[in-house]
Amino acid sequence: MNDPLLAIIQAALILGLAPLVTGIIRKVKAVLQSRQGPPILQPYYDLQKLFRKSSVVSSDASWVSIITPYVCMAAMVVAALLVPVFVTASFGSLGDLIVVVYLFATARFFMALAALDAGSTFGGMGSSREMMISSIIEPAILLAIFSAALITGTTDLAGISQVLVVGGYDLVRPTLFLAFAAFFIATLAENARIPFDNPATHLELTMIHEAMLLEYSGKKLALMEMASMTKLVLFIAIAWSAFFPFGMATEVAILPVAIGLIAFLVKLLLFALAIALIESSMSKMRLFRLPNLLTGSFILAFLAVMSFYIL
Amino acid sequence: MNERLMGEIIASMEEELANGIKKTGIKGNHVWMTVEQSVFPKIAGHIHNSWGATLVSMHAVDNRFISSDYKLCIILALKGEDDFVTLVTSVDSKDTVFPSVTPEIFSADWYEREINDMFGLQAKGHPDLKPLVLYDDWPEGTYPLRKDFAADSRVLRIPRPYNYRNVEGEGVFVIPVGPVHAGVIEPGHFRFSVAGEPIIDLELRLGYVHKGIEKISERMPYSKGVLLAERISGDNSFAHSLAYCQAVEALCNAKVPERSRFVRCIFSELERIYNHLGDVGGIALDTAFSIGAQHAYILRERVMDINDLLTGSRFLRGVNCLGGVWKGIDERGRSKLIERLVMVKLDFQEFYDEVIGTPSVMDRLETTGVLSYEAAKDLNIVGPGARASGIDRDVRRDHPYAAYRDLSFKVPILTQGDVNARFQVKSEEIFESISIIEQALSNMPEGEPRIDIPTPEPGRTAMSLVESPRGELLHWIVSGEGKPFRHKIRDASFHNWRAMEVAVLGNIVPDFPLVNKSFSLSYSGNDL
Repeated sequence: MNDPLLAIIQAALILGLAPLVTGIIRKVKAVLQSRQGPPILQPYYDLQKLFRKSSVVSSDASWVSIITPYVCMAAMVVAALLVPVFVTASFGSLGDLIVVVYLFATARFFMALAALDAGSTFGGMGSSREMMISSIIEPAILLAIFSAALITGTTDLAGISQVLVVGGYDLVRPTLFLAFAAFFIATLAENARIPFDNPATHLELTMIHEAMLLEYSGKKLALMEMASMTKLVLFIAIAWSAFFPFGMATEVAILPVAIGLIAFLVKLLLFALAIALIESSMSKMRLFRLPNLLTGSFILAFLAVMSFYIL
Repeated sequence: MNERLMGEIIASMEEELANGIKKTGIKGNHVWMTVEQSVFPKIAGHIHNSWGATLVSMHAVDNRFISSDYKLCIILALKGEDDFVTLVTSVDSKDTVFPSVTPEIFSADWYEREINDMFGLQAKGHPDLKPLVLYDDWPEGTYPLRKDFAADSRVLRIPRPYNYRNVEGEGVFVIPVGPVHAGVIEPGHFRFSVAGEPIIDLELRLGYVHKGIEKISERMPYSKGVLLAERISGDNSFAHSLAYCQAVEALCNAKVPERSRFVRCIFSELERIYNHLGDVGGIALDTAFSIGAQHAYILRERVMDINDLLTGSRFLRGVNCLGGVWKGIDERGRSKLIERLVMVKLDFQEFYDEVIGTPSVMDRLETTGVLSYEAAKDLNIVGPGARASGIDRDVRRDHPYAAYRDLSFKVPILTQGDVNARFQVKSEEIFESISIIEQALSNMPEGEPRIDIPTPEPGRTAMSLVESPRGELLHWIVSGEGKPFRHKIRDASFHNWRAMEVAVLGNIVPDFPLVNKSFSLSYSGNDL
């Protein structure tokens, strides 16, 4: 279904919920550590505070540093328009899932450039590590989504979820589970979560994603943070809509939409809880062990595609 | 006993060296030798290498207004015995040059740089005599520990460049980190040279929190010096004040009450427990295993709570005094302490099992930041870091002080030398410390916690070694008129910082914070 109005509503939902999901993950982690933790709404307050502040840009920085926050945020907003959330509709005429994956790549490309731009030490380390990880994880993401595309015969995300919802349980195959597992690992890697990166650390020498944001402040930092939070929710939305879209509305009526909305919120919460539990139960991996896990994700995705043809 | 020992030491020397000894003396378990400057490094090297002694300290005294020269001392602790050898030589007040000991004893390196900074005495033959503790913009020719430098004088700051080691090659990058770090920690500059992620060189630059403690102490009456000692390195307050008190008590040959000796052991061990808990928690936190880390931090908080309950200070300040301790531990405190320790012991066992049972954490700790036995020996590493690399040395056992002679405990020794070994040593020491406190509580005699001690007569010398949570710590005092004439303080970190430069080699940059945490070094204690 191609419905600009629904796409805009869904994109707004993703953007609006993004800080909440981060807040929930932080709160759950805090509770598991016997801490009280900041309020769930703290990310909203932080963003509000940062948006009020002016931005300092290094005198050595070029135009790349200035436009990067806008590029990243714009890429996330466009991606949000292409991802179905509670109803199997999106701005499909703009692009399909391949466009979504490369929107993320665009944002990452600019982020890595901006980190190098100011010439600070940690930015360069962050970029090189981020590129190492993304060069391995990107094929895995594509393969994983392709396996859903293979089952449904379309690369349009709304189309994939539409076919899966209508086709129901007849279409559930091992391929979906394998691809989901691959995509889950990719979600952790792409969103700088443990065991790949530690979003809570202050140790610059160990940072990957955070190291690239160190030069930013004020409004620009708010945009970068917002883009990262949105990216996480986008990945969660893609994971559910491409592999298990059940519960999504296929028509615009009050009851199906309400069910779709509740189903999405429950899935969002489940995913956030899973991330919080993983982050609490294990430590970050050694940097040079990361490729092993990343390759594991690729192999799962590859098996997913294989099993589609074999089974 | 010591006369025989001194005879043996002198007999073992070559004739040329033995002829350089001008005067000898024995005081308690100290053998003193005044030697010619020309053979000073050779004799020190001979005792260090042939007798397996460890370097405890090397420092200078500005004696120009008494004997019109500078005195240079080296203190060596003999292996396996509770005996020390102190070598003294004189450095001319005009010529200010002495032969370097570093070629003979490698760990004298930083001491000689410190002496150069503070007294302006140059070690001839030292490989790299650049500033160590003073700021880069401290003017040349101004030496703060000389007696003619007024402690309250202001100096003109003239920036000058600092010569860092230069590593060059294709694809070699320099990562300068600090002195200001993220997080609330002290300042220190780390300069990594890396080829990709692996570290091929690390140079430390410290001294950013130099406060002139030794100079301040020379103006402080002994009773106030205790308060100063407590503030040298915040989380080792008790160890520092204990060393200071013991040194002053030794100056006037005072014998402190039995009860206070036990109380001092108990608080020393409480300090060790809360420090080690913070360290093992920090190690877990730096691997991003935050549940484990919080577990240890909660325990640390409980121990600091009991510190507060017993003494009114979470950092055990205001407990030590000259001649004992201000307050003993009463019946109520005693039962509270026992109860709390049992809880900490059980909970810590749980934390330990949790960390050991999490493969992702162990994968980070094992084989990371290995400090070999040879390197630890040459750099003269002390404390848990040394014991994790196979060096069997603990001041509490080898040079017992307070009531440690009457308590039985095990000194855990491991040989792997990695982050995991340091984690294990600290964990085992926590259990040992709990057992020491329990023994001390049940053996503690009744009586007054303190006696009044007289003011030490001028011109005496005394030293005190204490096993602080970070390792061997020294206070060495020459008494003056109601206050120290010269007060040398050497924190464990002064020896241990250099271990970092060696242990991180070949590791990757993201593992550095973990290695750093496992050594848990004090900036303030090092910079003084």
